Amino acid sequence: MANYFNSLPLREQLNQLGVCEFMDIAEFADGVAALKGKKVVIVGAGAQGLNQGLNLRDSGLDISYALRQEAIDAKRDSWKNATDNNFKVGTFEELIPGADVVVNLTPDKQHTAVVTKIMPLMKKNSTLLYSHGFNIVEEGMQIRKDITVIMVAPKCPGSEVRAEYLRGFGVPTLIAVHPENDPEGKGLEQAKAYCVGTGGHRAGVLRSSFVAEVKSDLMGEQTILCGLLQTGSILSFDKMLEKGIDAGYASKLVQYGVEVITEALKHGGVSGMMDRLSNPAKIAAFKISEELKTIMRPLFQKHQDDIMSGEFSSTMMKDWANGDANLLKWRAETGETAFEKTPAGDVKIGEQEYFDNYTLMVAFIRAGVELAFETMVEAGIKAESAYYESLHETPLIANTIARKKLFEMNRVISDTAEYGCYLFDQACKPLLAGFMKTVDTDLVGKNFNEGKTGSVDNAELVHINAILRDHPVEVVGRKLRKAMTAMKSIKTA
Amino acid sequence: MSESVVTILNLTVRFKDKIVLDNLSWNIVRGQNWVLNGISGSGKTILAQLIETPKGIDGSIVYNFDKNSPLPQQVLYVSNWYHFKNLEGDANFYYQQRYNRKQARETLTVEGDFKVFGKEKGLNIADADSIIDALGYRGLLDSQLIELSSGEHKKLQLIKALWLKPQLLILDQPYAGLDVASRKNLNTLLEERSSEGLQYILITNDSSVPDNVHMYAQIIDGKIVAAATNEHSSEILHELEPLPEFLQEHPVYHADQVVKMIDMNIHYGEKQVLNNINWEVKAGEKWLLQGHNGSGKSTLLSLVCADHPQSYVDGLFLFGKQRGSGESIWDIKEKIGLISPELHWYFDPSATVFTSIASGFYDSIGLFKTLPYSQTVKVREIIAFLNLKDVQHELLNTLPLGKQRLALLARAIIKNPELLILDEPCQGLDNDQTQYFNKFVDKLCANGTTLIYVGHYESALPSCLEKRILLDKGHVVKIETIQ
Repeated sequence: MANYFNSLPLREQLNQLGVCEFMDIAEFADGVAALKGKKVVIVGAGAQGLNQGLNLRDSGLDISYALRQEAIDAKRDSWKNATDNNFKVGTFEELIPGADVVVNLTPDKQHTAVVTKIMPLMKKNSTLLYSHGFNIVEEGMQIRKDITVIMVAPKCPGSEVRAEYLRGFGVPTLIAVHPENDPEGKGLEQAKAYCVGTGGHRAGVLRSSFVAEVKSDLMGEQTILCGLLQTGSILSFDKMLEKGIDAGYASKLVQYGVEVITEALKHGGVSGMMDRLSNPAKIAAFKISEELKTIMRPLFQKHQDDIMSGEFSSTMMKDWANGDANLLKWRAETGETAFEKTPAGDVKIGEQEYFDNYTLMVAFIRAGVELAFETMVEAGIKAESAYYESLHETPLIANTIARKKLFEMNRVISDTAEYGCYLFDQACKPLLAGFMKTVDTDLVGKNFNEGKTGSVDNAELVHINAILRDHPVEVVGRKLRKAMTAMKSIKTA
Repeated sequence: MSESVVTILNLTVRFKDKIVLDNLSWNIVRGQNWVLNGISGSGKTILAQLIETPKGIDGSIVYNFDKNSPLPQQVLYVSNWYHFKNLEGDANFYYQQRYNRKQARETLTVEGDFKVFGKEKGLNIADADSIIDALGYRGLLDSQLIELSSGEHKKLQLIKALWLKPQLLILDQPYAGLDVASRKNLNTLLEERSSEGLQYILITNDSSVPDNVHMYAQIIDGKIVAAATNEHSSEILHELEPLPEFLQEHPVYHADQVVKMIDMNIHYGEKQVLNNINWEVKAGEKWLLQGHNGSGKSTLLSLVCADHPQSYVDGLFLFGKQRGSGESIWDIKEKIGLISPELHWYFDPSATVFTSIASGFYDSIGLFKTLPYSQTVKVREIIAFLNLKDVQHELLNTLPLGKQRLALLARAIIKNPELLILDEPCQGLDNDQTQYFNKFVDKLCANGTTLIYVGHYESALPSCLEKRILLDKGHVVKIETIQ
């Protein structure tokens, strides 16, 4: 199989990267009609598989689960999840041939094996649905020409997909149709109907393409989402220890700090997050983040380049073939860092203190979000797609760190994200070595405002505020967040 | 003998521009058990919370615990509301969550929760055994917290409190959600524990309290007033005015047969929760649903409300249609007005009274749409009718319980539904409020609304109820006409 994206002429590459339309709720007026009465068979009953299935059935659709014979015989969790909720469960051979839509919600790494197995069983003119395009775009999986290939990707964890649906709302969702596999032109209608079935249409839907989804998703997760949060957390912790800050305090500040800080990001974007700092701290964070952007920009560009060229995915797939040797080695190394091994201290840190004493992380996040966004847009990805894969997801990942540190983050995210995260982290730390020498405890560990008068130059502050608020990620973010206003101000992942 | 355990002097509490407690003084003598009462919003809960944790108060609270007693020298306040978290420390739940089956464990089990509590407080787990048995809780030890009904959560709170056995225990609405037998058991436990040195204050308007209550008091105009019995001054309740016009109309029936269950079974793994249920509700009928805590009432109602994933079976018909024949849960919910302790507990914390009521048009937990003018008018009318105007823009969960319930009742009826499900709607309301509430229900249902009402106490039911279904351990044990 050859990389699909690389097989396209430049014109078509740009064309597909540029598919990006924030859809109006009126486009979903037909509800689930396009799937009504059709047999929808979900492969995989994990968090996404089970919760999407529960929502779809509650929306009046016919849902069943196809599991591997071994999973059924051993009564694995996936089997129990499906049968305990009164779903029909069968083997691939029993259910796939009758399916109008087959929904592949297995982990990325299994896609080639699963799709190769189910494709011959799928009936003529049926539909195959993915929630991530890696298999199609990077692995170049060829799907039979009579089959329609679509994507519906809720941008939240499975438990949240269910919770929001039952409240009468939904989670932001991305949908796409694979242009090589839309023989009857029904792909978009079916994707929309599936999206309505999961409740996603109420919270903002972005129409994308397989290519745009993969290239932006990989970029976001490697750089700002996982890579930078990991690097920034470890460097911050080590700096505090070096400067004699109590290890328990440092551990707690780092573990929970990203979550508190990015909660502000979620509600008010980068400028909302920066506004939580005092004026002098904001000016300092701005200047540092400008410096960070200059230092890290080449690394962000390298990641984007490797993703676009297919270099990243081919390297990673070699590691898959090698039994995940690198991935497992790097995972173990992350488990051995001082931050990971120091439990959070039994100290109370107030909400505002997480900003005042962790200005460095605010600067890291501003630099990372803007860099990831800028780099994606430069590479031909549209602003809305870039927003979802950078700013929107940062609080979700930060939440996993708050739970059980970086170990948990790397466990919860996909192996693909984890692999890219380690690549970024390994390259980023040496890049920042010189910068970190200039950092003192006023930026991390102690209150930045301590011993300062708090006075600032008006003109400078106005200038900085304007730069922050006028950044394209803020302009598009204000529009997209409006559609999600009803999202609860609770932890989301 | 008459040594005080807690002495409160000149305590004043303001909430916004209102004085709630006004120079209140209260001498709680050691060994005296009290019942505290007062109208909704009189400041009972605030007072109790301050006695437990006197933070930043205007006035003084002095403690004088018995240094020779083996019991912990502390005041424990058990709130009228229960709280628990999932394994990740969040409390992001939805009210139907207990019915969705997942292999991944989401919350601690009851036993796990006891262990955590015991460790935290340095208690011996064996000491909890007798309380667990007395409240019939043994069978729930393996249940996850998320699976418990509201009555079972209440018992969990009570078991922990009695296990800790502080020198002074304050229970806020201890009987809410408890069935008649459990209330008796609780009273017996309180009597036994007080002979071992525990002293208690009950915040309740109920008259069947333990035998060893010595003193009654109520809060009137921000002050403690001693009383001879558990009677209390009435809130001036407005006589029921004519219903808003849109609620005087006969609701539209979509089918003559609202509910039909044929041999319905619900089980979680090995545990059978509902057993061969056969039940039929016809349009316009008024049903009373009763049974002990844990008998399966909430599960039965969850089938009717389309909240249960195991509903997708043969044998369940709602509004004349077989369940799972292509309808969505929203098609069913739009015909139902629901109020239940669980719905209340998990309700959107960011909702105001106005948006809570308006969300009833869409059956959502919180309002996600712009309300058309015609519906805004109805919300205003019902707010005026229920005297909620002065609090309409307050956050729902900051109001006294009684007002919250009224607002949620308004949410349930705002679309004049053909089926009204009221699951213990008067939990936490005082006698007058309950009466007022039930009169309102009678009036509303006189227009043809089908009603399913859950209530433990015969004395506090609407008079329109005509049929009764009784559950016991997941079985229907009686279906009868109410005389």
